[in-house]
Amino acid sequence: MLHLLKIDLKKLTSYRTFWVVCGLYFITLAFTTASGMEFLKWLASFIHGFGQQINIKRIPLYHFPDVWQNLVYVSGLFKVVLAIMVVISITNEFTYRTIRQNIIDGMSRWEFLLSKILTNVLLSAMSVAMVFVIGLVTGMIYSPEIILADVLTDLEFFPAYFLEVFAFLSFALMLGVLVQRSGLTIILLLLSSMIEAIVKVNIPEAAALLKDLFPMQSISNLVALPFTRYAFQEIQDYVSWVAVLVALTWAFLFNYLAYFKLLKSDI
Amino acid sequence: MSSPSDNLSPLHSPSPSERRSEVVLSTDKLTKNFGRLCAVNRLDLEVRSGQVFGMLGPNGSGKTTTLGMLMGVTNPTSGSFRWFGEPASNLTRKKIGAVLEHPIFYPYLSGQKNLELNAMIKGTDPANIAKVLNIVELTERKDDKYKTYSLGMKQRLAIASALVSDPVILILDEPTNGLDPMGIAEIREIIKRIAADGKTIILASHLLDEVQKVCTHFAVLRKGSLVHTGPVDDVGKGEETVELVAYHDDLSHILHEFRGSLLVKAESGKYLVRMREGFHAVDLNKFLFEKGIVASHLITQKKSLEKQFLEILQEQNVEVRR
Repeated sequence: MLHLLKIDLKKLTSYRTFWVVCGLYFITLAFTTASGMEFLKWLASFIHGFGQQINIKRIPLYHFPDVWQNLVYVSGLFKVVLAIMVVISITNEFTYRTIRQNIIDGMSRWEFLLSKILTNVLLSAMSVAMVFVIGLVTGMIYSPEIILADVLTDLEFFPAYFLEVFAFLSFALMLGVLVQRSGLTIILLLLSSMIEAIVKVNIPEAAALLKDLFPMQSISNLVALPFTRYAFQEIQDYVSWVAVLVALTWAFLFNYLAYFKLLKSDI
Repeated sequence: MSSPSDNLSPLHSPSPSERRSEVVLSTDKLTKNFGRLCAVNRLDLEVRSGQVFGMLGPNGSGKTTTLGMLMGVTNPTSGSFRWFGEPASNLTRKKIGAVLEHPIFYPYLSGQKNLELNAMIKGTDPANIAKVLNIVELTERKDDKYKTYSLGMKQRLAIASALVSDPVILILDEPTNGLDPMGIAEIREIIKRIAADGKTIILASHLLDEVQKVCTHFAVLRKGSLVHTGPVDDVGKGEETVELVAYHDDLSHILHEFRGSLLVKAESGKYLVRMREGFHAVDLNKFLFEKGIVASHLITQKKSLEKQFLEILQEQNVEVRR
């Protein structure tokens, strides 16, 4: 397994685009998640009354344990950048026809796909590690006092975040295998939430429960929007098992469909 | 070259020693359909170790499709094949070095890195890389990106990648396609050197001359069907063609009367008589003499693979029309 991961990383680590896209992803992720307080100050500078009526320093954006869900939610918005990298990585194999040579050289189709899946696992794990470190550091800085129990609360958002990123990257990988052309795949990837929304609108109210089963919806259901709690609304501050189960099923289906397509087609 | 039958070596014709040599590839009614088009039709092939096996056929005759199936990238519609007597898997492919159609590499990686990747996939020692780069004379350019290579260099890198795992079998598909005469000569030299090392080589080509120069055995494909297979040295044996000039008003008619003539063709003042098997120029001469005709020009034509190939294809055409 490690050998397969090494093969795929060898393809990527000498590829400039990979470093540019991943660099952009991790830098934006770091800056965005770490600059929440600055963002609030910026909002206060032009929204009348925002800084006066509500003391922004009182908003516990980075206090343990709030910091975990807040950061994980914001980080989840950036996963599309990583997904575009995954699309480029897989569609390159089709445009350069290198997948053909990989198989001729002795990889099985499953091994080829697995090498890509393992890279997805690695990218997801790196995102988790990064957000965890940023959360830990900013939490330490902004929390008025550090209580271990608070630090350890809500850590289940990290496995959920991992699943969120991995399921989405699996979706991108599957689209790449099915469509095989980078431009079209990226457009479809960017439009997929919108296309799903259009389909959902047409579902009758009676079957509203079905909406949570849609792939994009199920992925975003993993970590709920947390910020409304600062406007005194109730939020879902836990990870729902149903959402995990649905997202896991989709992640499995995406990878299985990609495998099925590879197995059946002439390369 | 004297008569082709003079230079039969044990390697080049089915002698008892070769019959014992190991079968490395056998196909059983291998078939591939693309929709209604039958690209490969119930193909039965056998390649033994030590052979340099040429696959001949016009463009679109199914050579690459066949090799694609043998290398696991094209799924056969029906039929089966065995490498080294075992059913094919990705593990058997690791023992084979193959380049199909064009060279395929990651354009943004250097030649060296591309070969490292090939070695990783094959699971072999990367120490071989320096050696194979040397064989194909690319050592100086090994750190340049693949996309900066000329076509000839790309083809040579492809051969290097096929050699990197020190495979027992080498599959090359049109290895000299698109090269200039210099490049063609270089690649041929490389192939001959590799063959001299005792490796089994399967070479697909539509260049007959190439196959005749480097191969020991060959197969001819036409529209996906196998129409001929045998040793290259058998070319020129069997039926022969006699070139004839004689002065007689009704020569064509008389030539047709000859028991041994298979086909009579008039060509720029000469008659070309294709003889039935077992008949030779001497029989024709005798026949004409008995008829009171004296030939002023009588030559047995040496058959090149090209001629044989065209004849084979023609026979097939006749059969198809029947």
